[in-house]
Amino acid sequence: MPQLNPNPWFFIMLTSWLTFSLIIQPKLLTFITMNPPYNKPPMTPKTTPWSWPWT
Amino acid sequence: MLTMNLSFFDQFSSPSLLGIPLILISMTFPALLLPSPGNRWITSRLSTLQLWFINLVTKQLMMPLHKKGHKWALILTSLMIFLLLINLLGLLPYTFTPTTQLSMNLALAFPLWLATLLTGLRNQPSASLAHLLPEGTPTPLIPALIMIETTSLLIRPLALGVRLTANLTAGHLLIQLISTATMALFSTMPVVSLLTLLVLLLLTILEVAVAMIQAYVFVLLLSLYLQENI
Repeated sequence: MPQLNPNPWFFIMLTSWLTFSLIIQPKLLTFITMNPPYNKPPMTPKTTPWSWPWT
Repeated sequence: MLTMNLSFFDQFSSPSLLGIPLILISMTFPALLLPSPGNRWITSRLSTLQLWFINLVTKQLMMPLHKKGHKWALILTSLMIFLLLINLLGLLPYTFTPTTQLSMNLALAFPLWLATLLTGLRNQPSASLAHLLPEGTPTPLIPALIMIETTSLLIRPLALGVRLTANLTAGHLLIQLISTATMALFSTMPVVSLLTLLVLLLLTILEVAVAMIQAYVFVLLLSLYLQENI
């Protein structure tokens, strides 16, 4: 079975960890989740009048 | 005739062209299928789908773990995505699947399993050792059971690697065998050849499922080993 050929074993082990840790993981780190949208709590607007400082 | 049978395994030898190992391409190609999202609030459809999928996988894997285990989120999720893409890409014609190589699967399984084991032994040594004896065993059985549990513990990385290798190798081998049979029967018995083609289609659907399930099982078992030890 060619999978048991020890010749490329070290190379395959090394490259699999290198691609996994140096290529895939940084790519996945760039995925930033957005906060889910929610409605603002209903606020009654303040209706206290203020006097305009008409000069 | 004997040489024809043995040549079915040739698809699993690590390909190289003029001395350059081509497994590099097979392993780095999946990264090209994951576009990094830009700075926009609403990204493209593919990015949104990927993000949804990554969130789904991360939530699923991290739910049974408490806060300290959540630092494993990146490595487990990226391992899942990596294995999933490699397995699925290998089902295309003329592609090479790196996960059929025992070297790659053992290289991924062994250090990660060892990391979970050492985390457990370092942070909670008596609790980790207590896993070697199930609760409520009768006293005379204790020595035998501890030896059995230790063996099953030490065989976990081998099982993890060989499970993935064997499943994918067997699948690819079956696909090659049945497609060879379909082509060989086509000239003499076309109806049988069509039935074999139907079997091949069903097998391909099965292999797609197996590719996804095996990637998930690999990562799930690692997270289970982590749960015991963190």
